[in-house]
Amino acid sequence: MPAVPRRRRKQFYVRRKVCRFCVDTKLLIDYKDVATLRQFITERGKIIPRRISGNCARHQRHLTRAIKQARLLALMPYVPSPPPT
Amino acid sequence: MRRYETVWVVNGDLPDEDVKATIDKFTKVITGQGGTLVSVEEWGRRKLAYKIEGAVRGYYVLADFAGLPATVKELERNYRIDDRVIRYLTIKKSDKVDLAALEAEIAAKAKEAARLQSEREAASEAAATAAAAEASAPSTPMEPAESASISIPATEAAEAESAVEPDKEA
Repeated sequence: MPAVPRRRRKQFYVRRKVCRFCVDTKLLIDYKDVATLRQFITERGKIIPRRISGNCARHQRHLTRAIKQARLLALMPYVPSPPPT
Repeated sequence: MRRYETVWVVNGDLPDEDVKATIDKFTKVITGQGGTLVSVEEWGRRKLAYKIEGAVRGYYVLADFAGLPATVKELERNYRIDDRVIRYLTIKKSDKVDLAALEAEIAAKAKEAARLQSEREAASEAAATAAAAEASAPSTPMEPAESASISIPATEAAEAESAVEPDKEA
């Protein structure tokens, strides 16, 4: 996808983001699928906001719920475990 | 009847007998409270993302069943009583259950399990005969794995990180 220049002077580019779950309908949001959920958290364990991940509202909602369910079951961290000292 | 899915985590420090005991116990609770069990899946021991009650590992068991709200209530009451269970989660998958379809699904699951069992037996048998007769091992063609994984492009991931970074300090 070509980068779209928005402001000439600042050389500021915006890449069009699309919701990955809308693009690939085979990709389901499930609290058991930790590998997929991991792509939507930072290394600090925070959920990546919609404005950055580009997810649509509906899927972001499902995603946050799934991440929180996975956290409850200790499949994912609330906070990364501290490095061994 | 509604379709539910429940996961419970048994303290990983406990022996396998305790795990089996919880499976027996909770499946009985489900069936005893008007529920119909579709399948039980054991994920085995996994490392927990954080310590729970001092345990570092947990034994995960997933059960798929159809039941009533009362079934879930009773099941969760039992989870809370049982000290071996450190975490549980029950999720409603659908509000309505087609009984005929459910029966078919259970039958299919049972058939699949039987097929896997016989396949495993056949494989071990074949291995035994192959070892005995030094015959060529039966080659099973690898099925092309269905890969539907999409990774975030590196640039986007980097962008995400840099945008989140200032937040950390706040």
